[in-house]
Amino acid sequence: MARKAGGIEVEGTVVECLRNATFKVELENGHKVLAHISGKIRKNYIKILPYDRVLVELSPYDLTRGRILYRYR
Amino acid sequence: MNPVHFTSGMDEHAVVITRVADRQWHAVEDDLTVGRGDVSHRPDGRTFLSIDAWHGAVFDQLADAMLADLPKPLYTVVDETDLDLTSQWERAGFRTRRREWEYLVPTDPQVTGLGSALPPSDVRIVAVGEAQEGPLRTLDRVIRDEVEAAVGWQEMPAEVLPLPAGVTVLDPSKYAVAAQSDGYVGLLRVAPVIRQPRIGLIAVRSDQHRRGIARALLAHVLGSLHRCGIETASAEVNESNRAAMALFEGVGARRAGSNLELVLR
Repeated sequence: MARKAGGIEVEGTVVECLRNATFKVELENGHKVLAHISGKIRKNYIKILPYDRVLVELSPYDLTRGRILYRYR
Repeated sequence: MNPVHFTSGMDEHAVVITRVADRQWHAVEDDLTVGRGDVSHRPDGRTFLSIDAWHGAVFDQLADAMLADLPKPLYTVVDETDLDLTSQWERAGFRTRRREWEYLVPTDPQVTGLGSALPPSDVRIVAVGEAQEGPLRTLDRVIRDEVEAAVGWQEMPAEVLPLPAGVTVLDPSKYAVAAQSDGYVGLLRVAPVIRQPRIGLIAVRSDQHRRGIARALLAHVLGSLHRCGIETASAEVNESNRAAMALFEGVGARRAGSNLELVLR
């Protein structure tokens, strides 16, 4: 089965760790979004810290919200 | 594979839940993936789930589909401060099984007080990257057998990487060890995570407990990190492991968060 499209995926940099397991991420275009971490990242105990480069999937319902899919090394 | 479809209304649109692979479910609305479910199997044999959805209703539908297909018990991990996600899993029937504290551990010997923490006279600390693989694997096996005979590995901090059968030491270069003349008696595994290394495991052979070996291993590794300009490391500790919590809190580590392991039996 072909994979359906998800939200837009963009790269960004974590600028702040907020409460409620949320992160402020600055995207390459300068916009800032609030992002949770994906379940896969959580299950694998991957830590997200300020200055981490990350791949964010933007919510199709609210482009100011996102989900961190991947942390680059 | 014949995917199973579940359809129900959400607002004006229908969301279709499909098992797209053995371990993956998708929630699709108007050709857009609006949720994903994923299954992974830990080396200890347990099955862990994750669900990412933009709406609680989609989460519930994905959970229904996954729980209908998968044998129990099932597990998941949530950040304790993520109240929405925790309540979503609780709606699906999951309950808290254990809590793991996240610690930030200072490395400065003046803060940790570990500057004078030396190993017993018959023990020497072998630096990270210098341990011999054979004796390390022997010690790892001894400690694992001791853990399984006592609290069980499920009660230890999580090990999540799938490894070939029988392999438990993935990368010997990440270990510092405490050595006696006839072999290794203690180990500390440290992952070189960017900016904030993670102490993944500290363990000492049971017949060598209460000799200050774990503290000496910690002093050696934290001191090395401090000399490299790294100010803090991280570590996760099961809250039932009082000895480990005392070890970290005794060197000035502070709690920075907590993860809950949830189970559906």
